[in-house]
Amino acid sequence: MKELSELEFPETVRYTEDHEWAAVDGETVRIGVSDYAQDQLGDIVYVEMPEVGDIFEKGDEFGTLESVKAVSEIYMPVGGEVVAVNEALIDTPEMINQDPYGAWIVEIRPNDAGEYEELMSAEDYLDMLRG
Amino acid sequence: MEELRTTPLHRWHLDQGANMAHFGLYDMPLWYPAGAKAEHLAVIEAAGIFDTSHMALIGLRGKGALALLQRCFSKDLEHCQGKDRGPLTAGRCVYGVFLAEDGTVIDDAIVYRLGEDSWMVVVNAGMGGIVARHLEDRPEASGVQTIDYTDRIGKMDIQGPLAAKVLGRVLRDPQTVFAGMTYFSCKGGFGELIAPHPVTLLDGTPLLLSRTGYTGEFGFELFAAGDRIVSLWQTVLAAGEEFAVLPCGLAARDSLRTGAVLPLSHQDIGPWKFANNPWLFALPWDDGGKSFSKDFIGGRSLLDDPAGEYTLPFAGFDPRKITVGKDTFVTNLQGDTIGQVLTCATDMAIGRVGETIISVATPAAEGRPEEFRPRGLSCGFVKVHGPLAAGDIVIITDGRRDIRVEIRADIRPHRSARRPITSML
Repeated sequence: MKELSELEFPETVRYTEDHEWAAVDGETVRIGVSDYAQDQLGDIVYVEMPEVGDIFEKGDEFGTLESVKAVSEIYMPVGGEVVAVNEALIDTPEMINQDPYGAWIVEIRPNDAGEYEELMSAEDYLDMLRG
Repeated sequence: MEELRTTPLHRWHLDQGANMAHFGLYDMPLWYPAGAKAEHLAVIEAAGIFDTSHMALIGLRGKGALALLQRCFSKDLEHCQGKDRGPLTAGRCVYGVFLAEDGTVIDDAIVYRLGEDSWMVVVNAGMGGIVARHLEDRPEASGVQTIDYTDRIGKMDIQGPLAAKVLGRVLRDPQTVFAGMTYFSCKGGFGELIAPHPVTLLDGTPLLLSRTGYTGEFGFELFAAGDRIVSLWQTVLAAGEEFAVLPCGLAARDSLRTGAVLPLSHQDIGPWKFANNPWLFALPWDDGGKSFSKDFIGGRSLLDDPAGEYTLPFAGFDPRKITVGKDTFVTNLQGDTIGQVLTCATDMAIGRVGETIISVATPAAEGRPEEFRPRGLSCGFVKVHGPLAAGDIVIITDGRRDIRVEIRADIRPHRSARRPITSML
């Protein structure tokens, strides 16, 4: 397991207590899991994703990550409608381990831009991890 | 609460950045930075090394040791070796279980005959004291010396098709060592644990080398004095570098053994009857296969009142699994609960081609497509209330997700464990 100092927490995305990240990209938000999450989970072998058009509230479970260790649910950092899923993860789920901030899982059109602003900054997230 | 234990390699695991977890009473590596998938594949395609110093080891000495083991251990040690089922000879070992009188499992074990009256019993982490007491409490133990060596012995495994090539670089006179080393045989030794034919490293360190393992792949378990295990580990790893050998953690060990249909004691076998499961070869069947060739603790209970439950291997159709817990169940296709899930892992070296399970080790002539890059299949063991046939479909569920899986006779094909050693040098 890596030390926190060896993990990356870019300031260009925001974080949840459940270790997802969200990044605004124009009118949509891309969502993935943090470097801390992938390091804890170990090799991701399968990603279960929602369908385009599915609608979720903030905090809803929208899929699962299957790692060698366990099955982990992933939760919506902000509510909205799924406009795209990262189909590359179907055949290469390990991209989440290799590039956690490049390997987005879903892209959504948010209902409420205010929800994004409530998410943690990299600094706050790191403070949370340090306990 | 008992203090968390560590093996002599604990500092090495931490220095490598291993992801650690508690396993039984021990703090053990789950995987190293290469990741569990790379480690799993290394064991099937090259070789991997495992710290197994948490395993417990009991020595038995004395003229009565055979009679004691005959009473307590499930294999008939006088009728178990070779086609003619002769007595276990010095330098050979067998897999079996220690049962309670009611036929439930105390632990599984490999029993080694090191010499005429010298035996070694390898059981699971934390079980040394329990199994030693189980043996010592028997009237047959009179005159038998029982020694729990657990904290004095280091153990590591090297598993994978290149294991002998790697060991060939670090052993003195490897040709002689490997000559005649059939599956479930051992050579060498140290201290009081001495089997026929010495085995030493090039630096003179004596080893007990056993052609056994817990992955389903070709390989060896290496026993040495506790203070030699770190240097042994580093020596083997350095020799293995050119063969792409990886250190492997418990995650790869679990996914490899599950694909090889090997049970985890206290999870797949445990405090229920040792019956109707894939491991009945551990029992002392007579030639007719209906009764036992000896009387032993727990045997009568199995014959008189076999269990109504069935433990069966399964494999899924993709890598999805469930995290096994008290709320995980097996249902039939109508949704009726028919049992529980014991183990659920992902064997990352296999995938389905049509209905057939193919491994990265499957020869092209036997169905492996070119550019075969499997995503892995979930697999494990279920315990159900009635018999099912290979090919039957059931659902495993944690109440949130339902996964269709197939009852199997076997899981990962083309395993290398039983290949003749002459083809592996």
